[in-house]
Amino acid sequence: MLGVHPPDKGGLFLDGSPLQLSGPAEAAAHGLVGVAQELSLLPAMSVVDNIVLGSEERAGLFVNDRANRRRVESLIDRHGLSVPLDARVGSLSVADQQKVEILRALGRQSRLVVFDEPTARLASHEAVELRRTVRELADQGVAVVYVSHFLHEVLSVADSISIMRDGQIVRTGSAHQETHDSLVEAMTGRSIGDVFPPKSPPPDEDTPVVIRVEELSKDDQFHDVSFCIRAGEIVGLAGLVGAGRSEVAHAVYGAIRPRAGVVEMAGTRLSGSVQRGLANGISLIPESRRHQGLVAGRSVRDNITLPHLRRFAGRLGMRVKQEHAAAGEACREAGVRAESLSLPVNALSGGNQQKVLFARAMMGEPRLFIADEPTRGVDVGSKRAIYDVLNQLARSGCAILLVSSELEEVVKLSHRVLVMSQGRVVAEFAGDDMTEANILGAAFDAGGGPRRVFQSTPGERA
Amino acid sequence: MSRLMPVMRRYGIAVVTVALFCFLAATTDGFWSQANFRNVLDQQSALLIAASFATITMIAGGFDLSVASVYVVAPLFALQVESATGNVPLAVLVGVAVGLSVGLANGIVVTVMKVNSFIATLATSFMVFGAGFLISDRSVLRTSTDAYPAIARTRFWGLTTATWIAFAVVVVAWVLLSRTRFGRHVYAVGGNAEAARLAGVPVARVQTIAFGLAGAAAGLAGVVSSSRALSALPSDDFSFVFGVIAAVVVGGTSIAGGEGAVWRTVAGAFFIALMVNGFNLHQVDPIWQRVIQGGVILGAVAIDSWTQRRPQ
Repeated sequence: MLGVHPPDKGGLFLDGSPLQLSGPAEAAAHGLVGVAQELSLLPAMSVVDNIVLGSEERAGLFVNDRANRRRVESLIDRHGLSVPLDARVGSLSVADQQKVEILRALGRQSRLVVFDEPTARLASHEAVELRRTVRELADQGVAVVYVSHFLHEVLSVADSISIMRDGQIVRTGSAHQETHDSLVEAMTGRSIGDVFPPKSPPPDEDTPVVIRVEELSKDDQFHDVSFCIRAGEIVGLAGLVGAGRSEVAHAVYGAIRPRAGVVEMAGTRLSGSVQRGLANGISLIPESRRHQGLVAGRSVRDNITLPHLRRFAGRLGMRVKQEHAAAGEACREAGVRAESLSLPVNALSGGNQQKVLFARAMMGEPRLFIADEPTRGVDVGSKRAIYDVLNQLARSGCAILLVSSELEEVVKLSHRVLVMSQGRVVAEFAGDDMTEANILGAAFDAGGGPRRVFQSTPGERA
Repeated sequence: MSRLMPVMRRYGIAVVTVALFCFLAATTDGFWSQANFRNVLDQQSALLIAASFATITMIAGGFDLSVASVYVVAPLFALQVESATGNVPLAVLVGVAVGLSVGLANGIVVTVMKVNSFIATLATSFMVFGAGFLISDRSVLRTSTDAYPAIARTRFWGLTTATWIAFAVVVVAWVLLSRTRFGRHVYAVGGNAEAARLAGVPVARVQTIAFGLAGAAAGLAGVVSSSRALSALPSDDFSFVFGVIAAVVVGGTSIAGGEGAVWRTVAGAFFIALMVNGFNLHQVDPIWQRVIQGGVILGAVAIDSWTQRRPQ
């Protein structure tokens, strides 16, 4: 719709007349703009300059900074999204950057705004604000397309919903007639009960502890983080964006060297090196597939075996045949669907790319498996496959640390949940206390007091 | 066309080079002769030696401008050692070692001090060029033994040893990049350094080694070249590295890192060499040759980035 991908067939109609778009600039000229999931801002320029970029007010040859500023101020007043005007965009938080992106789209007299996963990187109260803005836009007569995999957002913000699966529209209907469950069913083609597998059996007191973390601290990132995970146990790590979850995960893995504290596996102290972590059987699925996970352009096989090349190194270079076979085996285990292992990894779908990372991690025969947002940007069908893999790993005795912003995921998969806020573990829930409401409450309640432990017997409710 | 595109994208430079070869063979007098081929191969030897390892540096995400300075200065050190000791193997070793140490220093500056590699190697280039004037006392150095010229000028089966050395170095670089763990690490580091780090790849070490090897290869290239010329003179001439980068880039190795191959650089080098050879045989004015050569490099890079943008 925005002129980025030219269609093979079919066409667009604007006000009843066909429209041929040669590119995003022409689309913008017609009032069709998008707010992308991946930010497209210039980090070195100020907020004002970014918002007016491409449509600057001019006085003769020169840019009229004062007029631009007035325009941006009125835009901010109108929509209630506040951002510091003179800050360099690169110095803002991701949430503020997202706001800048949205303001830029709003500042263009748009007739149609496409939001593509606009809240994926926002904290929940900011997401609420954004949805209000979207509603206001629609009430002002702007057409809005809102793409999201957060189903409650879609339900609360949209008038009508189109559901897509495998590149085709399944159905389009009024939002009133849809429920969370009906959406999931239509998206996956199966019923809601199948989205999450039954939990793996929880470990008992006698199960050996796989990893012990004690008073791990790193300057501004996390403080006095302690926990342990037993074999076969899935421990969720919840909290708001920026609470320090990923940093803790990286420190346990060895990618961040902590200032103080101990990470101990089966009596061995690990010391802040990825190689040590890997050698001791720790695997990590990083948060950002594109920036931290895959090497785009390299083959599926190369991406899977990258951390494990040593075992295929012969005296006369790599034993490629053996490597190829092992990568194929790992793909089958993780459920990767790829025509060929030699395909560049970026030719696969998002879900399959994520499974490539699982294949890589599982090849290390991990004893501790750290999954940081394992289902981000993954379609609902692939999610189930990923949950199954996590469960299977737990059943086979692997300890799992699950970092996720999707509370439902944390609650439905974990045996125990740690909640982080401002770099500290502030609460721990298990059993029936492990509810979305409790976790959210603890995550927002940044009192920083002593850690509260909720351990309940079945039947009790907090 | 749709079946042809992927093939052209992968092997385009090889196809074009072969086509140029056939074209010259069919149209140009004096091209199809053993003497001409021998000459072209001999003239390309130094460039191939340096470019095959410069390819590895570039794939690892580095950009090494200091290749030119090492190429100029390493033989000055080698010839000084030769005239002082008369020991030719030692002289060669010193030349290569000079290159290796400059390369490793580059690597450390780039990985530990996080200086952009273009700027870092530009700066070290000036230092190395300066060292060349110091070590040679600003004068041309000539060989003083019979063994030193023999390094590059001996003939085996009709080809000079310079050609054979280049062949051996290309094969070593090729195997290193495509068949070893180090090679895989090079691609990973250049393609996505953070992902490589999280996968346990020692990123700084891989890049430093890549710079070191490129330096050593440039040193060897300088020694071979001085052996062919029987002398070496200090200068601050950057032109060698431009030839090297042209070969690497025309071959299709990405300046952004993560993609490329040694065979590509070989094809790129021969494409340029054949073009120049053709011009010379047709007696095209050398000034015009430069203009056309620049256009061809521009065209090659433009085509490369155009095909990369096409959807898969």
